[in-house]
Amino acid sequence: MLNDDSGANQLESPRGGFLSRYVFSTDHKRIGLNYLWLALFSVFLGMAMSLLMRIHLVLPGVHLPILSSLGDSPDRFAALTTLHGSLMVFLVLTAAPQAGFGNYFLPLQIGAREMAFPKLNLLAFWATVASLVGLTTTFLIPAHPAITLWMVSVAVFCAASLANALNFSVTTIDLRGRGMTLPRLPLTVWAWFINAILGLLIFSILLAACVCLLSDRLLGTHFFSLLSFIANQPAGVIANAVPVLWQRLFWFFAQAEVYVAMLPCFGLVTHLVSTFSRKPVWKERLVVLSLCGVGVFGFCVWGEHMFSSGMNPFSPLVFALLASSLGVPATILLISWLGTLWDARVQLNTAMLFALGFISLFLSGGLSGIFLARHDLAGAAVSDDFVTGHFHLVMGVAATFAILGALFFWFPKMFGRRLNESLGKTHFSLTFVGVYCVFMPMHWLGLIAHSRVSPGTGLASNAAASTSIRNFITFAMLLTVCAQGLFLVNFLWSLFRGEKVMECNPWRATTLEWSVSSPPPADDFGSIDPVVYRGAYEFSLPGVAEDFVPQHLAPEQVVKARQSAE
Amino acid sequence: MPGTSATPDIEIIVEDIGGGGGGPILPPGGGDDGGEGDDDKSPHRDWSATPRQYSTAIALGLVAILMFFMALASAFIVLRRGSGVWVTVHLPVIVWANTVVLLGSSFTLETARRRLSLADVGGFRKFWMVTTILGFVFVAGQLVAWRQLVAQGVYIASNQASSFFYIFTGAHAVHLLGGVGALVYVLARKFGETTVSRSTAAEVASYYWHFMDGLWVFLLALLYLGK
Repeated sequence: MLNDDSGANQLESPRGGFLSRYVFSTDHKRIGLNYLWLALFSVFLGMAMSLLMRIHLVLPGVHLPILSSLGDSPDRFAALTTLHGSLMVFLVLTAAPQAGFGNYFLPLQIGAREMAFPKLNLLAFWATVASLVGLTTTFLIPAHPAITLWMVSVAVFCAASLANALNFSVTTIDLRGRGMTLPRLPLTVWAWFINAILGLLIFSILLAACVCLLSDRLLGTHFFSLLSFIANQPAGVIANAVPVLWQRLFWFFAQAEVYVAMLPCFGLVTHLVSTFSRKPVWKERLVVLSLCGVGVFGFCVWGEHMFSSGMNPFSPLVFALLASSLGVPATILLISWLGTLWDARVQLNTAMLFALGFISLFLSGGLSGIFLARHDLAGAAVSDDFVTGHFHLVMGVAATFAILGALFFWFPKMFGRRLNESLGKTHFSLTFVGVYCVFMPMHWLGLIAHSRVSPGTGLASNAAASTSIRNFITFAMLLTVCAQGLFLVNFLWSLFRGEKVMECNPWRATTLEWSVSSPPPADDFGSIDPVVYRGAYEFSLPGVAEDFVPQHLAPEQVVKARQSAE
Repeated sequence: MPGTSATPDIEIIVEDIGGGGGGPILPPGGGDDGGEGDDDKSPHRDWSATPRQYSTAIALGLVAILMFFMALASAFIVLRRGSGVWVTVHLPVIVWANTVVLLGSSFTLETARRRLSLADVGGFRKFWMVTTILGFVFVAGQLVAWRQLVAQGVYIASNQASSFFYIFTGAHAVHLLGGVGALVYVLARKFGETTVSRSTAAEVASYYWHFMDGLWVFLLALLYLGK
């Protein structure tokens, strides 16, 4: 019966041609999926770039068939680094967990049928695409116009993110279904909502910064003038002053993006941990509060330091910020995850493994963050491998794990098929070991570089150790990238040949998106508006036949909970 | 939940949201909201019919715009305080006249809305038209101010003070033009059987307009006091 239903709806949506179905569709599910495709493309592009960088790092003279011209000279190498960072941070870490999964599942989870402003949503998506095209084009044109183009692309991305944030927050505030009170919101929705508010505040600041920078470059103004900058610097750093415009802009983003990338991931992981532990989120209210805390604190630190510090890119404020702001709320989140896992019958499927992997990476990345909070160390460690290892572990890889976990979790809902579990577990294990092998030694590299500064250590032995560690990292990286091929195979194969999901709720989860067919019908909830009767995490309630009670189940239905898949 | 109104013909009234980067993001063109003639499914469409979401959107959008200008303003304050040599730019006299024009437009806007609440649509249109014209006059006046500065040899790249003058007035004018677009839109739009009533549209546009008004006063005060 459900299949008939979805079939009918499927027939109705593909009216018109390819353009109206995929390109100009204002359906939030289509736009969400489009964001995810965009992120998938960007993540593989970004990963290829990092591989290229590592190869050039250990084998400077090597000539790769086509790619040799891309990263062999210093400025091309720098361009490679910049582009790798921008693609990963903007189009993967920012776009996938918030815009991708958020667009698809936020309306479904709150019982709305669409985002508040579907056309604005579509516009934002295509602006994001334009910014991706702009960012990638920078790599192919000469340096001077490339820098300008990069800034324009970033400004366009800011505008798109603002539109998105507006849409998300209005949808959450005004379009919740009947009975979906704030305490009943799933934590994913809370995270998206808080992140949207945060994005609304910070992306407009980024946009203002971009406008100033662009006017410096194009109109000859002096907002970030080199002279006034050098005048404010201690004597030692003037040699480094050439890329000052870059550094400034980069630190703007570095400060804001940490939170924008991490907040939705916190929500996703909390959701997964609760669902697959079959237990309610431990101290759910406190988790909501700490999510708010991450948002508020993150914003305050950002706002306080932005212009009042004179925008000094070399100041250690970023590290103080990273460690301190992710301190208290992050500890609460961590304790809540462990409290949920405590004494639980954990279902170790791939989605849960990735969620646990996120916790592990977040913990180890957070620990190295404590070292970086020290101002004396941070001052010296701005550009070395310790920092690279730290932020890749805590921000890049951890967030990617959350995204992958969410993908394994929601894949059946989005495509009506499951991802292959054994391939997924192999992919998880290889990636998990791989990223630790890549980024942990980087911490060592950083420490070795520092011990060289102190007198009385053998330079030669240090250099030898560094070289072997570098080689090891590159080797581990090669294997990790190859392991991602496994994911790609799994993804594409499952998309067309994966095990079909007949029931609405294969994971026996509680939130509203699991009450509709997979994939959801074009109008999300069919002819009846969903009504919510309970909180989002009612697992293992005493006296109930099933170990979960979906949100849409009326109290009188709970006793005959076996038919809950209705 | 909103009423189960029948038509899916919803217009979106969203102002540019901090679109200083390259012009405002203008309201997406009218027309039916992706609806493909699914009148038979009208009960499904009631998610989009609440006027409340427009007020929420404009409030949040204004917060974003405020942050945009606050970033510029804090840059101004920091650079003003930190710089040893600050070349003063004398504000052209016409900006004061422009300010009066803009303040007057807020007044006529409110008059128009009062006429609307008295169901006097003709009077509403008249005063709304006056407001729109005053908006255009303000932007034209700002252009004249720019021309006067250029005639004095003060360009955007001349010094930091002039850069800030042009950036402030330029960004504000771009946002204000978005507001003028909204005014024209409310004027030209036929509010027949649609779910967004004229008074809602006028209300949302008025929030934006008054905000632009207050923002201008703030920016002008900043420029004047920071001389």
